[in-house]
Amino acid sequence: MAEVVTRDFVSATQAAVKDTQLRQALRRAGTGFDGTRREAIHEVTPEVWEEWREQARRIKEHTIGHLDYYLEMLERNVTAAGGRVHFAADAGQANAIVAQIARDNGVRTVTKSKSMVSEELGLNHVLEAQGIDVFETDLGEYIIQLANETPSHLVAPALHKTRRQVAQLFADQLGVPYSEDIEEMARIARVVLRQKFLDADMGISGANFLVAETGSLVIITNEGNGRLCTSAPRVHVGLAGMEKVIPSLQDLAVFLRLLPRSATGQRITSYMSMVTGPRRPDDEDGPEEFHLVIVDNGRSRLLADPALRESLYCIRCGACLNVCPVYQRVGGHAYGWVYPGPIGSIVTPGLVGLGQAKDLPNASTLCGACRDACPVQINIPRMLLHLRHVAAEGQGSYQGTGSDTESLFARGFAAVMSSPRLLNLGRKMGRWLLAPLANRGVLGQTRLPVVSRWTRARDLPIPPPRSFAEIWRDELSNSGSDSKRA
Amino acid sequence: MGIPSAQFRETIRAALGRQSGPPAEPYDVLAEEFPALEARAEAVRERAARETPELLDRMAETAALRGWNVQRCDGAEEALDYVTSLARSLGATSVARSEQEVFETVPVDAAVAGAGGLCWPAVYDGPSSRTEVRQRLAESDMGITGADYAIAETGSVVVLPRRGLSRLVSVVPPVHLAIVRPSDLLGTLDDLFALRRLEHVRNGGDMGSYLNFITGPSRTADIEQTIVVGVHGPREVHMVLLDKE
Amino acid sequence: MSQPRTIRASLFTTCIVDQLYPEVGVSVVRVLRRAGVEVDYPEGQTCCGQPLYNSGFTGEARKLAERTLNLLDDRAFVVVPSGSCGAMMRVFYLDLFADDPELQARARDLSQRVYEFTEFLVDVVGYEPATGDQPERGCRVAYHPSCHLLREMEVTGAPQRLLDAAPGIERVDLPDAEQCCGFGGTFAIKYPHISEEMLADKVAAATGSGADTLTACDMGCLMHIGGAVSRQKLPLRVRHIAQLLDGESG
Ligand code: SF4
Repeated sequence: MAEVVTRDFVSATQAAVKDTQLRQALRRAGTGFDGTRREAIHEVTPEVWEEWREQARRIKEHTIGHLDYYLEMLERNVTAAGGRVHFAADAGQANAIVAQIARDNGVRTVTKSKSMVSEELGLNHVLEAQGIDVFETDLGEYIIQLANETPSHLVAPALHKTRRQVAQLFADQLGVPYSEDIEEMARIARVVLRQKFLDADMGISGANFLVAETGSLVIITNEGNGRLCTSAPRVHVGLAGMEKVIPSLQDLAVFLRLLPRSATGQRITSYMSMVTGPRRPDDEDGPEEFHLVIVDNGRSRLLADPALRESLYCIRCGACLNVCPVYQRVGGHAYGWVYPGPIGSIVTPGLVGLGQAKDLPNASTLCGACRDACPVQINIPRMLLHLRHVAAEGQGSYQGTGSDTESLFARGFAAVMSSPRLLNLGRKMGRWLLAPLANRGVLGQTRLPVVSRWTRARDLPIPPPRSFAEIWRDELSNSGSDSKRA
Repeated sequence: MGIPSAQFRETIRAALGRQSGPPAEPYDVLAEEFPALEARAEAVRERAARETPELLDRMAETAALRGWNVQRCDGAEEALDYVTSLARSLGATSVARSEQEVFETVPVDAAVAGAGGLCWPAVYDGPSSRTEVRQRLAESDMGITGADYAIAETGSVVVLPRRGLSRLVSVVPPVHLAIVRPSDLLGTLDDLFALRRLEHVRNGGDMGSYLNFITGPSRTADIEQTIVVGVHGPREVHMVLLDKE
Repeated sequence: MSQPRTIRASLFTTCIVDQLYPEVGVSVVRVLRRAGVEVDYPEGQTCCGQPLYNSGFTGEARKLAERTLNLLDDRAFVVVPSGSCGAMMRVFYLDLFADDPELQARARDLSQRVYEFTEFLVDVVGYEPATGDQPERGCRVAYHPSCHLLREMEVTGAPQRLLDAAPGIERVDLPDAEQCCGFGGTFAIKYPHISEEMLADKVAAATGSGADTLTACDMGCLMHIGGAVSRQKLPLRVRHIAQLLDGESG
């Protein structure tokens, strides 16, 4: 499985917020994607958009609620079409399955179209260790593969890289003349990868959707690399998280409407490929073998928790990242694993364990922008609250991650707030302690623990002599009409 | 390596706290019986036939917005003129095409020849090996296909398996030209999926190995969100939209 | 708008107003009374539990929430000058008491009676600030819609309407108004480096808007934004909307 470095969240984000290039890249992508997304919604009208979202949500709710049934249907239909379905409980199993398929077919070269699950599994390294050349073919994925990095966005994996950085990377890794011309860089990638497509023995793709009733794998791309990966090589392996299934072909329509619009604001992507089994005896192209690997890798834990189940409705459109004020400042890598942003803050703790990712649910202001943007109405803030709750009060399978100081503080806070008298006493003590330190009526920078984290950049008011409750009692309670303040 | 599917499903059932078996409430769409499906598909086809003029206009408009160079043609002759002039302006020497009925009424081979190029069907014919045909395709200047369906809602051309390298002809050469007949047109994605579901049932549960949508040129915005066309697939796509068969 | 009978409202000031910004509470009372509302103040109120709930301390939050329910059980209307405390009472109490039908029923009842201050003035009272009310001296105001007010309570127009109607106030557009200011309760001190980036953008948007005053309906956000404005000695007043409507906040 891909390495988890979410423990370093604080230091990673401290570095990230100071990275002006990153900030620029994030701003360009975020406002760009989100702007066109809003235009696209406006175009179909917000009312129609809401209908689509509700329909999509209903489909997901139903399918995930009967996932075993639809996976069985899917398996039956893939098999009937001549494909093979494999089931992997974890990353190790999934990698072993793909490695074995590669060995069985004497595979030397693999081309891949974008797959977040393969990133999650860390599949490339496993195949490479077995002497196979693996080429990512989505331009963004290709760039980060050359840079030996992980994606920083669900749909734009190399979003964090500037054209200069890519130009340098191409010059260093491919030995081409340095050029900052984006057209030229795309052309270079086309030329290098075109030959790989024709040479590859095996193509690996992700899956945006799996259609149970027909046994089909659906991928949508803009570059055409998905078509090439699934058509040219002798063997096609599709990788999918188990939540990707939808019941009927008919259900696909609403998702084809929602996904591209939510992701980049496009009305539809350039390509949609629906693959059902290997090529038939009378087809002249297409793979001879088709394998579908269905991956759990922690998803059944999310499924088992009713409060987190809806995280499995996610269609990985990235809209929540583009509107998230935190993601927009820290970028994807700071989240420390494969899935960044708001949905990553749910999925990562779910899949790798809250103990490894306890900052993620906290690193949100709960502003709710993600939920409003989500095409399947996933209530991300509510799930973040739930994860905070399990971290703080330690129940269920994610427990034992809360900090003692915090829970002491919480108990103290609750005790004070349970008694108006204590509360007033607290204010008076605060005033007595802080007033001498005040300047122009506010507390400026200070060394006081905790308080200093506030006053780094913001002044703090000094508690006033009287609370509102006291003013009410003294002056306001009996005046039915307007009264002057003391 | 891996676990049996029954065991995988068992884990899921345990997580959901549910017994095996179908949903208690049958899923509407899947519950649709064959005659109902057939009737719906028939209604879709009838509507498309009735609304052909509107669909043509909508298709032309949407396809252009999605990046197609749309050429509306009154009939085969105009279409062939367009093919000739396109081939000429590209200086095309090698043009690959799929094997499809549409080329009987719109004989593009002659049109390409008129521009001094060679138009050849991308099929394996006996001695020439798979690799050779693929290499030849990779070196060709343009690919021409028909459309099995064309969706006015999205401006997409839908391609199903055909004899020959039907998957690759539309994606490997740098220019793709699709010939769309009025009878290929459908209004919406829902229309398409209704028809394909019916075919699926009729074919005893076989979907065919693929169903591809093509909507505009290949493009990427992976470097600084700047759009570049023609990254892995064609940089230029043309749609000849026939106003009548 | 004429009211057939007097509307009675119970004020829940929120702990931050009670303890740190009592003048805001005073303005709330004055504006409500000017709008013809009979205001009472349930004694003994403290905190709705939101800070604890947001930090995951559900058990402790429940104690405060139950306490608040007890105080407010039979009040006709509860008015809260805060979107985030209002959201706690309208939306999150239902989650908090999900496993206790009796308390949840009481929470559901409260959720139908609880209003944010401006929402109450517009939707329930039908109040239009009019000339003759004490006018704010001519000022240009940018309004920041705080996140929970906007997305949890779904109050999307009331504050703007009141500002637009108020004599002496000219409202100017705040760029990227719906972007979170970065307060987020404990977020502001757990991840100050991220919070401060968001804050800087909000402050820049406000100062660049041409406004001389920034307003919102939440003292949490305003303490955070105002704290930065004060630290940087910027020529921008930061006021709760009640203070502007009260017209005495020069
Ligand atoms: S959570 Fe929603 S918005 Fe975020 S990636 Fe998933 S589907 Fe898109």
